Amino acid sequence: MKTRFYTVYFTALAFLLTTSCISLKKTVFDQYSYQKGTEIKVDALRLMDKASTQYSSQTAAIEHLEAEMAKIVEYEKNKPENKIGYAMWKMIANPDKKFVAGFLKMWKENGTVSPVFIDQAKGQVTEALDLILQYEGKKDPAAENKLKQILGLQ
Amino acid sequence: MDVKDILKEIKGNLLTLVGGKFEDLKSETKQDVQDFLNASKEKLERWTLFLANGSITAEEYKWLVESQKDLVVLKGLYAAGVSKIKLGHLKNTILDTVIKTALGAVLNNNNASGNANA
Repeated sequence: MKTRFYTVYFTALAFLLTTSCISLKKTVFDQYSYQKGTEIKVDALRLMDKASTQYSSQTAAIEHLEAEMAKIVEYEKNKPENKIGYAMWKMIANPDKKFVAGFLKMWKENGTVSPVFIDQAKGQVTEALDLILQYEGKKDPAAENKLKQILGLQ
Repeated sequence: MDVKDILKEIKGNLLTLVGGKFEDLKSETKQDVQDFLNASKEKLERWTLFLANGSITAEEYKWLVESQKDLVVLKGLYAAGVSKIKLGHLKNTILDTVIKTALGAVLNNNNASGNANA
């Protein structure tokens, strides 16, 4: 009778822990995403400040930023259970959306843009990238540790 | 482009994303929507003024307005993602409690049978 009781209990526990692992996987904070996102935000805003000068004078910095955005999009794409994070980054890197890549497209097409526009566009890009960083920050960094504690691994 | 029409479009898109009529939303979501609309109104008025005094071109004005519409979509994605995270946290808290209770029951049972055998 007692053996049967423990069998049921441990089976239930194993099931709960497995389910718990799956849900935690969805919410674990990703230090790389957060750090890369912060770097891209700083680099993008600094580069946007230079958009009243000719686009052709900043080619190296622009190509570097585009490459960094392509890298983070690829990284987010392959992260499990990350459709939303991936969709958000895709918007930032899409030249047809009006964020970082969209700003670079406008700059390229016009050669230069006005200082007032730069200032206002920077506000929009800041808001967009802050949303992505805040989204990453909402994920629980302690979740993994909590699971390890429950499992007795800490 | 008329500021009122743009605001109406932004509000419509925002409500579609959060789902339902403004009146039916939870007070927290309602406040979020209202804050975003207020911020949008303030920005649109400012940009319209910049366009009128020649500080920005028509193309730049259009870009800014479209960026505000794109922000609505990004905001919707953010809200959906955060709800999912909150659900995950709630689920983990519940599981944590259930596991602790289950472990407690098993351990108490062990102690009881240990005492009985002694």
